[in-house]
Amino acid sequence: MTDIPMRGGSAGASGDAPFDAVSTFERHRAELKASKRVWNMLTLGAFTIALGLSIWISNFYPERLAEGVPRIFEYFATILPDLQWDQLFEGRDAQGNAVPGSITFWYTDFWTYVELLLETILMAITATLLGAAVAFVLSFPAAANLAPNGWAYWFSRRFLEFCRGVPEILLALVFVFAIGIGPLAGVLAIAIHTGGALGKLFAEVNENASDRPVEGITAVGGSWTERMLYGVVPQVMPNFFSYAMLRFEINVRASSIIGFVGAGGIGAELNRVISFYSDDRVLAVLILVILMVTIIDLISEDIRHRFIGKENF
Amino acid sequence: MLKLDKLTRRFGDNLAVSDANLTIPDGQMVGIIGRSGAGKSTLLRLLNRLIDPSDGQILFGDNDIARLKGKELRAWRSDCAMIFQQFNLVGRLDVVTNVLTGRLHDMPAWRTVAQVFTPRERAFAIQALDRLGMAHTALQRAETLSGGQQQRVAIARALAQEPKILLADEPIASLDPMNAKVVMDALRDINRQDGITVICNLHTLDTARSYCDRIVGMQDGRIVFDGTPDLLTNAMAREIYGAEAEEAFNEAATSTAIPTSEPVPARVPA
Amino acid sequence: MRMASIDTVDAGQIAAVRATHPRAFRTGLDEVRKWAPWVIAIAYVIGSLIYFDVHLLFQASERALRLLRAMVVWEDMANWQYANIYKGIAQTLAMAFLGTLLGTIGSLFVGFLAAKNVMPIRIVRQMVRRFLDVLRGIDQLVWGLVFVRAVGLGPLAGVLAIFISDLGTLSKLYSEAIENIDRKQVEGVRATGAGPFAVIRYGYLPQVLPVFISQSLYFWESNTRSATILGIVGAGGIGMILIERFRAQLYDQVFFVVLNVLVLIFAIDWLSKRIRLWAIGEKSH
Ligand SMILES: Nc1ncnc2c1ncn2[C@@H]1O[C@H](COP(=O)(O)OP(=O)(O)OP(=O)(O)O)[C@@H](O)[C@H]1O
Ligand SMILES: [Mg+2]
Repeated sequence: MTDIPMRGGSAGASGDAPFDAVSTFERHRAELKASKRVWNMLTLGAFTIALGLSIWISNFYPERLAEGVPRIFEYFATILPDLQWDQLFEGRDAQGNAVPGSITFWYTDFWTYVELLLETILMAITATLLGAAVAFVLSFPAAANLAPNGWAYWFSRRFLEFCRGVPEILLALVFVFAIGIGPLAGVLAIAIHTGGALGKLFAEVNENASDRPVEGITAVGGSWTERMLYGVVPQVMPNFFSYAMLRFEINVRASSIIGFVGAGGIGAELNRVISFYSDDRVLAVLILVILMVTIIDLISEDIRHRFIGKENF
Repeated sequence: MLKLDKLTRRFGDNLAVSDANLTIPDGQMVGIIGRSGAGKSTLLRLLNRLIDPSDGQILFGDNDIARLKGKELRAWRSDCAMIFQQFNLVGRLDVVTNVLTGRLHDMPAWRTVAQVFTPRERAFAIQALDRLGMAHTALQRAETLSGGQQQRVAIARALAQEPKILLADEPIASLDPMNAKVVMDALRDINRQDGITVICNLHTLDTARSYCDRIVGMQDGRIVFDGTPDLLTNAMAREIYGAEAEEAFNEAATSTAIPTSEPVPARVPA
Repeated sequence: MRMASIDTVDAGQIAAVRATHPRAFRTGLDEVRKWAPWVIAIAYVIGSLIYFDVHLLFQASERALRLLRAMVVWEDMANWQYANIYKGIAQTLAMAFLGTLLGTIGSLFVGFLAAKNVMPIRIVRQMVRRFLDVLRGIDQLVWGLVFVRAVGLGPLAGVLAIFISDLGTLSKLYSEAIENIDRKQVEGVRATGAGPFAVIRYGYLPQVLPVFISQSLYFWESNTRSATILGIVGAGGIGMILIERFRAQLYDQVFFVVLNVLVLIFAIDWLSKRIRLWAIGEKSH
């Protein structure tokens, strides 16, 4: 109690205390600025070194760019279809041959592509469902507030981390080796990755769920499973659904390229046309893939919005 | 008969409930009072075993409740229903399903997982709701009800458990006087008509006095008063509540005494 | 009106309650509505798995065992050409760094062009946006393949693929951030009579820079992951070594490389988190 007036008194009496404060402040500021400058220099240095190294390692030299960039445009020119207005909508002639310059000619393999696109979508749906099921089951032990014990928490966390840590295409490579070329490898790879990615998100949703309903179910004598099913699931289901739909959109993209390593879907065809031909077929497949992805996105978005609308009456 | 023997619960160095001894015969309506932090909630949670005791025994008949584990523990919880201040219903489930969760303990696992309830269980749940005047809301989502209505649904859920004991942790603390009275009347009816033991944490003194057969006062985790309402003198009450006395005696706040209703007998003069 | 026990609820009482509260009991239609989604989903998964030849999975034991063995039994470790492996990893890092940097620089321009409040000319904005949609519609791996065709095998194709796909996504995120800024601060700068570039420099950038930095750091993380697999199509990096050795059936080496990649990814995640914390004081995740 006594030191307050004393402090006030000394400051007023001597009069040099404010001066001291200002000079101290100035000194601190100078030090801070100096240390900041050092930091900035260091950062800039590290950045420059990283940039130099990166350019050197990846051969990103002006002459290579000057040489390569025109070729990119040349390449894009070669994949444009040679369409003619007057023949654009010509069908097939008597021998069943398409007329060059018509869309029919450009899309000679249309139905093959459509079949592969459908397979791609089926793969995405199956993988999303399988992955979401795994994610659902593991998201409860992987939520810090719900885990029945430390072991279950640790194992489910690590397992989910592993599943989402390994890139899909790498998993697909392994599955293609183990079970052969075909969509099953792709489905399994995407499903595993989905399980990991969704599992983490689901667990986060669970951790944010209110624990009052859970306590209510505990108090009526509910087991752990009943606490989850009655106390947590009704709260988190709408979020789970939205996340799963978003993941589905991502998975459609994934399953359209997973065929690069032979794991089914349109990817194999995409890989084939890009690697072996540089003509209008490349663009034909690319357009279809973009269309599919866009349409699926629109549908999925619509479903999500409708679902959310219904949830809120 | 429920018997607490040297029941103790520590949180770190903090003794939330310390050496509580209490014998509660079947069918009694007990009010627990005490200031905030006295350990009332902790005591009820110990009884329902939402938390584990650090020491001591809880005897129900010859069973030591404090030692129960797993299936037997869940069986005890289903025998010993709990009502919460914040109702703790599952907001996104409809009212009748919330009441049906009171039956979970007696259902085979496949039915609980598949959420399949028999017509008999449904009829029983509706009867429980009807008793609290809530049957007309059966298909509404619980979160769409008012606080007082939710608390009545919570009591219906407790009834669906067919409990031997009913614990209520400040059941009226977040309700207005009108709803508070409805809820306290319901608890008293359950106690009188079904002979279920009711143990109820209360914040206001007049409510405890007017509804309970017996009042237990807690202070810093210890039981400092135990007796009928008329034994609880004003001086005693002031000591139990300490600094919060004014608030507890203030009947306007969260009390069941509604101005229009006839005065409740054992009132504390202001 | 004391409550009877559930055992005494007889058929008559059930019927009485059913009569007064019919909707509390489930009809056949209710049951169908409840179970149909499950039945459909499960039937679909089983059906599609059969269509995808799920039986192959159960015939794979011999090869799967070989893979599992390779995880633990590492042979001939002296001849694993580690230099090659670490060169690949260095390439991966370089590709991700350079690709993200170029993508960020490009998005700085394109993002402003696509933002409603900066680019008033509708037609330009729309064209920029459709262009970005196309960039995003094509997967990074496909871009990788295309650039391999255009500029040849190697990391350059990878850098370009990362750059192009980042341009598509980052520009969109940047433009959204720009559209969400506080208008008053911009107005304040404009009121001083500043030209358009000064308005962007002093009005917009201070507000959006933290978002930009944070987004770009996330992309750096994610590009490090994708740069590890771009090599599968020949676009440089560790992926090329991975697939070479996989094709040569050197599974123990593949496993070793994968372990290295995982360590690398964790390290970059950690580093990116630190940088974000240091640069903008944002608590990550
Ligand atoms: N989970 C917990 N962890 C740590 N301390 C706790 C916990 N629960 C209760 N306590 C402590 O135990 C003591 C008793 O708390 P309790 O909730 O039982 O009081 P109360 O009488 O119910 O108070 P109120 O009237 O405010 O509800 C308090 O000091 C509280 O801080
Ligand atoms: Mg309490």
